[in-house]
Amino acid sequence: MRKIGLALTIAALGLTIAPILAGEPLKIGVPAPDFAGIDSNGQTVRLADFKGKEVVLEWTNDGCPYVGKWYRSGAMQDLQREAAKLGAVWLTIASSAPGEQGYVDAAKANADTKDRNAEPAHVLLDPRGAIGRLYGAQTTPHIFVIGPDGALAYMGGADSIASTRIEDLQKAEPYAREALEAVAAGKPVPHPVTRPYGCSVKYSS
Amino acid sequence: MSGGFSGRCLTAAIVVVLAWAAHAQESAPIATSHATVTLVSETAAVEPGKPFRLGLRFKLAKGWHIYWINPGAAGEPPRLDLGLPEGAKASDIAWPTPERVRQNDEVMSYAYLDEVLLPFAVTPPAGLTSFPIKAKASWLICEKVCVPEEGELTLDLPVGPASPSVEAPLFAAADARIPKPSTDAATISSDGVLTIAGGDLSPDVVREAWFLPASWGAIDDLAPQALNVATGKLSLALKPGPAFDPKATLAGVLALEDVAGRERDLSIVAAPQAGTASAAVPPEPHRSNGAVAPAASDSQSLLSVLAFAFLGGLILNLMPCVFPILAVKAMSAAGLAGRDRGVVRLHAASYTLGVLVAFGGLAAIFVVLRAAGAAAGWGFQFQSPAFVAAMAWLLFAIGLNLSGVFEIGGGWVGVGDRLTRRGGLAGSFFTGLLAVVVATPCTAPFMGAAVAAAATAPPATALLIFMAVGLGLAAPYGVLALAPGLAAALPRPGRWMLIFRQALAFPMYAAAVWLVWVVGQQAGADGALIVLSGAVLIGFAAWIFGATRTSARRGRAIGEALAAAVALMALLTLDRLAVAPQGATAAAEDATVYSPDRLAALRAEGRPVFVNMTAAWCVTCLVNERVALSSDRVKEAFAKRNVAYLKGDWTRADPAIAQFLREHGRDGVPLYILYPPHGEEPVVLPQILTETAVVDELNRMGS
Repeated sequence: MRKIGLALTIAALGLTIAPILAGEPLKIGVPAPDFAGIDSNGQTVRLADFKGKEVVLEWTNDGCPYVGKWYRSGAMQDLQREAAKLGAVWLTIASSAPGEQGYVDAAKANADTKDRNAEPAHVLLDPRGAIGRLYGAQTTPHIFVIGPDGALAYMGGADSIASTRIEDLQKAEPYAREALEAVAAGKPVPHPVTRPYGCSVKYSS
Repeated sequence: MSGGFSGRCLTAAIVVVLAWAAHAQESAPIATSHATVTLVSETAAVEPGKPFRLGLRFKLAKGWHIYWINPGAAGEPPRLDLGLPEGAKASDIAWPTPERVRQNDEVMSYAYLDEVLLPFAVTPPAGLTSFPIKAKASWLICEKVCVPEEGELTLDLPVGPASPSVEAPLFAAADARIPKPSTDAATISSDGVLTIAGGDLSPDVVREAWFLPASWGAIDDLAPQALNVATGKLSLALKPGPAFDPKATLAGVLALEDVAGRERDLSIVAAPQAGTASAAVPPEPHRSNGAVAPAASDSQSLLSVLAFAFLGGLILNLMPCVFPILAVKAMSAAGLAGRDRGVVRLHAASYTLGVLVAFGGLAAIFVVLRAAGAAAGWGFQFQSPAFVAAMAWLLFAIGLNLSGVFEIGGGWVGVGDRLTRRGGLAGSFFTGLLAVVVATPCTAPFMGAAVAAAATAPPATALLIFMAVGLGLAAPYGVLALAPGLAAALPRPGRWMLIFRQALAFPMYAAAVWLVWVVGQQAGADGALIVLSGAVLIGFAAWIFGATRTSARRGRAIGEALAAAVALMALLTLDRLAVAPQGATAAAEDATVYSPDRLAALRAEGRPVFVNMTAAWCVTCLVNERVALSSDRVKEAFAKRNVAYLKGDWTRADPAIAQFLREHGRDGVPLYILYPPHGEEPVVLPQILTETAVVDELNRMGS
């Protein structure tokens, strides 16, 4: 009996070989992982469809005060319009699970877009968090910019000051705007990796 | 904090004593539905020019938290804008060590729960009549959702000789969690190994350790931190984060917990290590609190792989399918009783040699098959029904021999002097060979990893690994040679040996029956018929051989020829067995057959999946299924969490399963993997399962 106990103990200690299988973390300059999602109009949207165009991914949660700062001030909508003008595709992604703050169905997503006077190319509904987890989206907002070559050019915060105060928008370094403009101009992004700040994404558990 | 009770009693006593003399120095609170926030002073009165401490005090509603200076990916630390009298200066907040709060599978937060005091020092100017403080505090408070809150706090402190206020014990309590600057030398390697050298560090005083980075992105906050502690040194293998700079210093807090659960927090600044190699502390695996690296990884020395292989071989002795061989070994050990030390040593050496030759042969086959591109894995030979049938007959024949149906030379006869020295040594040698051949389907713990290492290693290394497994298997017997006292303690030969020997025949028959069942799994009822018919022929041959032993020389010769002819007839049927139709697969009714596509589909659905890689010839697998996987408790737990149960049957060769095993660093079954929902990292379960181990793992996934 003792022998068996010993063997079990050794087995439990020694053989729990945890496979290091977690997907490679995203890297700047490396092709961004492709995904397909359903948008708020029921259309299937694939990242690969936008090859040759700049793409911006914005994670959102309407109830999050950090997202609130960006939309109440109109700063996020301005960025979306600028992206459209520069020929970039803006994808707003909602990865909150049903029942969690920020969960939207198609109708609510479209209503939000209208209320906020926002102008994303698509709002992707990601209630299972598949796209969010694929990109390791941690916060709302969390911004990713993908170049026309499909390579990841920026990931991080919407700007440099983690706060919910609108007045901080003026003082902050506008990381996301910098990245959007640099990629459109074919220039290197000045701060390609920054801290994403905001509320944690309310994934399904 | 541990020791909290006596600490609290003491604190309470101090509060009672001081309350008599001291004044409360706490501002009116900002009260929200989630928090009560005040400004407190450590002294009851301010002495001009003498620094004292103020603190921002948070009492949080249950489940709500506020953030550390480095909040992790989400959130932000509280902010305090102080309005102090002219000429006064304030320091930064001294942040107590926070808790690690896992928000979800993407975000780890560094946060405070329940109650916390954020202290800071204030230096008042020389001339003073009063000391009014106005402060604006703002903080983000989160449970599942986050709410930004703010408010104003005012505190008027009298001027006079400094004496502790009622709130002073709060500061003492906060001090216990404020990291102390460390004098130990700290370095960070380019691949993220943090090493601390300090005289008081040892495996006894450090049970657990965690590093909390001072700023965002330096490390992956969610990754396990594998801890190794040696005397005077510890290392933590951190996973570099997106903002990790191998050329820069790494600042943060090292939280240590000793064996008694006492905590100690050190603030450290690790210097980048020259060069690229990480000089990790030599591993002491039982001190590891993170993932164990796969055995085949580059950083692991050949030596430790060999050690694992040796251990694996040693444990093989305890595996259920080695039992018949243990019987043979016990038999030969009994035969050694009463002999001199030299003979005992020779027997042990012969046995060891037999084991090593068998492993050498297996290694050669393994290397050749691998070179040929075959999906060779541990136990692969058992995938051939012809091989299994031959093994069944061999065990059956040994059983007949033990039962006394026939005798070969003097090899197996333990009684008296008929046992020639040479024959006995050959017997030990072949016992060793047999032990290996029969033991292979039991992939013992450690063996899987070692053989997986062999699978990718150059041939010479692969051979070494196999040899190490062999030495492990032979070790208990070798102990007999090295400790002659044990051999002397064995009982003396006598009639009991004959009875003992006859009794040992039955495990052999049982093992043969099991192998026949395996053939049935592989080749169906027709296959079983062929093996059983062959067994009758083998039995017939053994009887002819045994019956003619006592005849005259001519009769013996005829008997041997007849026996050989009959045995050959049995062997010829093996050819038919190889092409016998396949039997039904062994997937149970509660499991679905594994396929890579099915696994991918289920995971894409976000469902948790349990994968069981098994084979009919793997006794360990069958025991696990019986003991752990088919119990009602486990079934219920699977059902409750909507776990999909996939079973891969490796009884016959299957490239998809071999591929799956290899991907997980294994070359044999069993292999149990639990995939949590939504693409989280899968968990490999131990090769010996218990009901509780499975249920615990499921529960952990659920949290």
